[in-house]
Amino acid sequence: MNFDFSEEQKMLVQSLERSLAKSYTFEDYRSQIADKVSHVPENWNQLAELGVMAMPLPEAAGGFDGNNVDVMAVCTELGRRLVTEPYVSSAVVSAYIVEATSTVSEELLPQIATGEVQIAAGFYEPGERHDALASNTKATEAGGIWKLSGRKCVVMGADSADKLIVSADAGGPSLFLVDPKANGVSLRSYQLLDGRGAADIILEGAEGTLLGEAGGAADIIEAAVDRGAAALTADTLGAMQESSTLTQEYLRTRTQFGRPIGSFQVLAHRMVDLLVELEQVKSIAMEAAVEARNEDAETRKKSVSAAKAKVGAASRTFGQECIQMHGGIGMTDEYALGAYVKRMIVNETVYGDTDYHLNRFADL
Amino acid sequence: MELQLTTEQTAFRDEVRSFLKEKLPDDIRDASKGAGHLTAEMFTRWHGILAEKGWSVPLWPEKHGGTGWSPVEYAIFDEECHSFGAPKVLPFSVSMLGPVLIAFGNDHLKEKFLPGIIDGSDWWCQGFSEPGSGSDLASLKTSAVREGDHYIVNGQKTWTTLGQHADWIFCLVRTDTNAPKPQMGISFILMPMDLPGIEVRPIITLDGSHEVNEVFFDNVKVPAEYLVGEENKGWTYAKFLLQNERIGIAGIGGSKEQLYGLKRLAAAEKKNGKPLIEDQNFKTKLAEVEIELRALDITNKRMLVETERGMDPGPVSSMLKIRGSEVAQRLYELKMEASGLYALPFQPELETEGWNDEMIGSLENAISAPRYLNTRKISIFGGSNEIQRGIISKMVLGF
Repeated sequence: MNFDFSEEQKMLVQSLERSLAKSYTFEDYRSQIADKVSHVPENWNQLAELGVMAMPLPEAAGGFDGNNVDVMAVCTELGRRLVTEPYVSSAVVSAYIVEATSTVSEELLPQIATGEVQIAAGFYEPGERHDALASNTKATEAGGIWKLSGRKCVVMGADSADKLIVSADAGGPSLFLVDPKANGVSLRSYQLLDGRGAADIILEGAEGTLLGEAGGAADIIEAAVDRGAAALTADTLGAMQESSTLTQEYLRTRTQFGRPIGSFQVLAHRMVDLLVELEQVKSIAMEAAVEARNEDAETRKKSVSAAKAKVGAASRTFGQECIQMHGGIGMTDEYALGAYVKRMIVNETVYGDTDYHLNRFADL
Repeated sequence: MELQLTTEQTAFRDEVRSFLKEKLPDDIRDASKGAGHLTAEMFTRWHGILAEKGWSVPLWPEKHGGTGWSPVEYAIFDEECHSFGAPKVLPFSVSMLGPVLIAFGNDHLKEKFLPGIIDGSDWWCQGFSEPGSGSDLASLKTSAVREGDHYIVNGQKTWTTLGQHADWIFCLVRTDTNAPKPQMGISFILMPMDLPGIEVRPIITLDGSHEVNEVFFDNVKVPAEYLVGEENKGWTYAKFLLQNERIGIAGIGGSKEQLYGLKRLAAAEKKNGKPLIEDQNFKTKLAEVEIELRALDITNKRMLVETERGMDPGPVSSMLKIRGSEVAQRLYELKMEASGLYALPFQPELETEGWNDEMIGSLENAISAPRYLNTRKISIFGGSNEIQRGIISKMVLGF
């Protein structure tokens, strides 16, 4: 048994940390949001140069053959630094689909690895809540050409993606590669609460390239979503760690009634409860990181759902408690805590919310 | 024991209903029920309509313009206002300053300020909290030094709600730095916001909205006639002011309205092809908060009836603030959950400019997360829930 990051993983995290500390401060994040910008090409390229996009991909595709614990290490850091670049949607979720369906992987995977191509994958639809397999998007074939119609909602990274992957019904769940600039494709782009970018994808007879088998993509969709979900639990872990640090610091330094407020037992004990929770979150996120690529689907689902449900619920309480213990200052936009709270809400809701994963865990 | 309204109370409720039906302007109702962006003008206009009816300061003594309603009648009025979508009359002038002026102000101050509070023509804001003085309000540092007929005020207030619209501010200031206890050196003073040296800076909250402000005072020369009551007695007046917040503190009317809204939303959202409201998980969560609200409604009415009988309800008002804020926060949290992925797009323009066909998701979806975030404030302001618990334990346990 070993719960440490490897030397390589530690080095990766350190170089990411150093690089972000220099080029991406909280003030940079804030001014980006003020300008309504989610994707900054230089920031994206910088991540690519550090190798984090190549890291999870197979060596044959220009990747470093990394495992999912590497993904956890990276995502925790991205969460800690409030990075808005669509790393998970492109390098984790979409890259897996490209690799698993192998239709276009030879050409696309190396481009994902270098960051040259950014891909976003949309599964969810209005009215279908957190069920990634329920699709009202229809795919029809005529003369070897697939045409797609339907709507995908809140697709992270779709606002800036070079290529889109969408699920659609072609006699069963299927996956298609779509050019966002093609006829019949329109995007309604926006920023999410925490400044990351997303879009609704509206397909009206848009042409798509079938990835893998028509009607046979259910397992791949579920596995892709699970990888995304596991990555977001790591992202939330990073956000929780930073929120915890901010709150501890505040409890130590803010004085009222002539003493640091952290010396009031009611606050001290609540902070301790959060620390207990943080350890629990770290443990379950580790499990998800290790099992997110398990070939046994049931083991994978059980671990990922356990993590997504636990981390989601814990992060909600965590955010509320950190704000409450800060008081008014925790409510302000210029203080970093709010940004972490919003990031945790987004992470909790994407790739299946707490209830969805709680139910899936219970039903497995 | 009887939980229903009496015949007289029912008649009163019907009177309130027909007034609201007739007089509440559509645009104000829509703003308050819909995107919820009530402009300053709407608050003032509605205040004026209430004043015409004689209902803008219901809880004041009748000789100063009050309606003579009992606390229960006031609660009925409050609940009906919420249900019809009438904006809450802002508390700063009517519930906070007014009663202080009536109890402690001299005739000059009463004559000068009560009419503008009653008809809503003066917009007041509150200058209590400071960056270093939140829960520990008595440690405040903003100073007022007497020089002839004036006080010279220096310092900073914060969390000043809607101060950007205010014509006047009522402030707690330190007039004696050598008092044996910090509470004993504080005075209560009024200032026009356009005095030279006063600067208002916005504080944007994490939901992206601008409700609160910082107010800076740089050698502001305030006529001494604006001192309320006696110098260094401000703490007594402030405590009196905070006690007056008791009625309506549980936010029952607002929470009932949110509960209906949550049910409508959960009926519109789908899960596995069925309305979310039929989902067992969600139903259970909804039931839990609804039951809590039912109990709170009765706890609140018990408190009102005791107040009506002239009894001191003791720590119940702090209890109502604690549980009332928790219920309200839970309702907003469930609205965000019910909205699913469409809670996530950030569309702040909906709150400021109304919406158009560019909206993502429904309006309820779009405002759910910002409202959830904004509502975190209600367990912090007006004496945080930790302070309220301290008040209760002091009364019950003695320490």
